[in-house]
Amino acid sequence: MAAKRESPSPVEQVAQLWGRASEGAAHAAERLIEQAESDAARASERLVASGGFSALLGQMAENAAALAKLSGDAMDLAWRNLRLAGRRDVVRLARQLARTEDKLERVLQELEALREELAKRERGRR
Amino acid sequence: MSALRTLSRLPRATIEFANLILTTPDATIGATPRDTIWTHRETTLYRYRSAVREHPVPVLLVFALINRPEIFDLRPGHSFVEFLLEQGFDVYLVDWGVPDDEHADMGLAEYVCDELHWAVRETLRSSGAHELTLLGWCIGGTLCAIYCALGLSQAVRNAILLTTPIDTRGSLYARWVGRDEFDVDLIADSWPSIPGAGIDWANKLMKPVTNYFTTYRRLFAGVLEGRDQRAGYQAMARWVADNPPFPARAYREWITWMYRDNRLVAGTMRLRGRRVNLGCIEQNLLVVTAGSDHIAPREGTVPLLGLVASEDVTHLARPGGHIGLMAGSRARQEIWPELAAWLAARSGR
Repeated sequence: MAAKRESPSPVEQVAQLWGRASEGAAHAAERLIEQAESDAARASERLVASGGFSALLGQMAENAAALAKLSGDAMDLAWRNLRLAGRRDVVRLARQLARTEDKLERVLQELEALREELAKRERGRR
Repeated sequence: MSALRTLSRLPRATIEFANLILTTPDATIGATPRDTIWTHRETTLYRYRSAVREHPVPVLLVFALINRPEIFDLRPGHSFVEFLLEQGFDVYLVDWGVPDDEHADMGLAEYVCDELHWAVRETLRSSGAHELTLLGWCIGGTLCAIYCALGLSQAVRNAILLTTPIDTRGSLYARWVGRDEFDVDLIADSWPSIPGAGIDWANKLMKPVTNYFTTYRRLFAGVLEGRDQRAGYQAMARWVADNPPFPARAYREWITWMYRDNRLVAGTMRLRGRRVNLGCIEQNLLVVTAGSDHIAPREGTVPLLGLVASEDVTHLARPGGHIGLMAGSRARQEIWPELAAWLAARSGR
């Protein structure tokens, strides 16, 4: 009967070595990536906090707003010239609805206040 | 994990990663059952009823204007609303809704003196209580602080302010929009409601690598390792991506009054002719700040502690981020019980 082998075969040893080496390399690569990422994060946060970036961001926002206004106004004018209801008209109607709702809310509040006052007087009378 | 094993998992992980990202809009958030108590314009007041109600003083949750309030009720098993209900609190939540161009005229006065004030009134009517707790987070905290400072109601017994901007000096936002060269009027005149995506983009730009790369890199790494991140990631990602527009007038006032003039701490903010005086805050006050908060840094909230007239003031300085402190994985074990304990001691008859 052949003796039981206690140590791994050469093939198994090579496979284990390869596995450990590749895991080690993978971990090292992961650490490198995380370090690079962390450095990039810190650098980018310093950049966005700089005065130059702040000015640039502000100008970009203003440019976007100005473009939105120009294009919106142009489309509204084109639509109006076609005698069709445009976004501005819908917003005007919606705003009127909102104002009506505001008034209704205040009327309801007055009603509730009157009801509570009446209830208080009823309780007082009893 | 060996390089060979990683390579073999790559195709499946890529597909699963793509699936995680693409199905995020279908994630369930804000699932706790609730009743609609009151509405006005886009604002809705909701009530969550506790099955084990123990504390007579209800809690009114107030979130920011630039994000949705579902962060309070993120997902089953990880919901602050659920937690409070389990602790025996009746919970109300004011949802500012999704404003549009017709709400361009809504400023801070409308939100504080009308919407929030009426939400307080309706909370008391619905609950039958004479007092309540205001719990504000982010801009919601600032609105609550302003409300208490104006003294519009004697019914606020307790005020909890979470990661709340008060003093904006030196903050990154102040550096960006507090400059005289930044034309806030051009932006507010061009857009009746400032696009939520634009504000979200600016917020993410404060930590560009973290928000645009690290989040996805970690998500992919987790998928590769076989970790189940679907529920947690998707709920938060869906909430983060849902940004309502900011009404132009409120935007103009927020930027000018808070970041350019710093009126709250200067004592020069006025709403409808009434001066907002932080020294008039007398409620039991709990202020929570997060150590890694880059949106409302701790040093921007702490000055409030020295300005209020409250006798009962507690400051919880905790680690974490602006949202992570309350919505992160450890919140249920750490900050939530602290909030509940503080509240429980102050919510009896």
